[in-house]
Amino acid sequence: MSKRGKLEIMKDILKVVQESRNSIKPTPLLRKSGLSSTSFKEYYLALLDKGFVKEVLDNNEDKMVILTEKGFRFLEKYKTMISFIEEFDL
Amino acid sequence: MRPPIEFLFPPELASDMIYSFVIIVCSLMIYIATKEIYELSSYKGLKYFRQAFLFFAIAYFFRYFIMFVLTFFNLNLWISPGVVFSLSMLVFLYSSSMAVFSLIYSVMWKKWNHSKFKNYIFNILAIAIAVIGITFRGIGVSLLLNVIFLASVSFVLFIAYRDLKGKKTGKNLLGIYSLLFIFFFLNVIDVLIPKFLQPFNLIISLISILLFMTILYRVLKKIGN
Repeated sequence: MSKRGKLEIMKDILKVVQESRNSIKPTPLLRKSGLSSTSFKEYYLALLDKGFVKEVLDNNEDKMVILTEKGFRFLEKYKTMISFIEEFDL
Repeated sequence: MRPPIEFLFPPELASDMIYSFVIIVCSLMIYIATKEIYELSSYKGLKYFRQAFLFFAIAYFFRYFIMFVLTFFNLNLWISPGVVFSLSMLVFLYSSSMAVFSLIYSVMWKKWNHSKFKNYIFNILAIAIAVIGITFRGIGVSLLLNVIFLASVSFVLFIAYRDLKGKKTGKNLLGIYSLLFIFFFLNVIDVLIPKFLQPFNLIISLISILLFMTILYRVLKKIGN
């Protein structure tokens, strides 16, 4: 899979979190991402590692995934990134 | 008392320094403007694109600016100006070769991604070009070296151009890159063989500035700041 595809998948996962009022459990996130569990785990760990998402506990002590400021920034800049990559054929 | 600046720098050297300064500023602006999208994406093509312009800035700094800094600030070093000049030429040749390799690789990385040793190969080639350029300063060797280098770069760009298949943006960009490389090699020849291209110096400098400014304009237009 190309890196372009990777950026797109990362954007899609972050978008799911954002559209779930910025709070979603990992299992529904896996389901909505449309990825296999192995691929999802790989991307999810990458997103955690890059600081785009973080895990927090809600009032019921359930693990929830939320976007960080950097995650919101990624979504904000996604179109710019892609159009830059296309413009310069990178 | 320090002599007036016109005695320290003849007008042609001053114009070369202004030219280098403009290229350094353009290159650094491209590097800084793309910082955020690279940090967010960690995209490999962007990494090499930025790296190319960082190397361009370093190359032009070591081309003239270092001599300006040393002379203007009257720095007394423990090594002779001749050695400083040779070392700065070495860094100039290495950085300029790395800039060319990085820019080409930013376009070709998807095709060449299978080789793990590209970085080492680029560095070894750049060091070899720098050492040969400094060791054999004769017209023949310098010209031959640059002609071989330019021919190899042209071949790679031709492959990239052929593979674009009707993509207008990429073709347009490869045209700019080709011109950038040609004028950059003319600059390298100008440094290695002083006076060889002196009658065309101004036009080479102006076209080079125009090319860097075109790329900077396109970068800033896309980034939106």
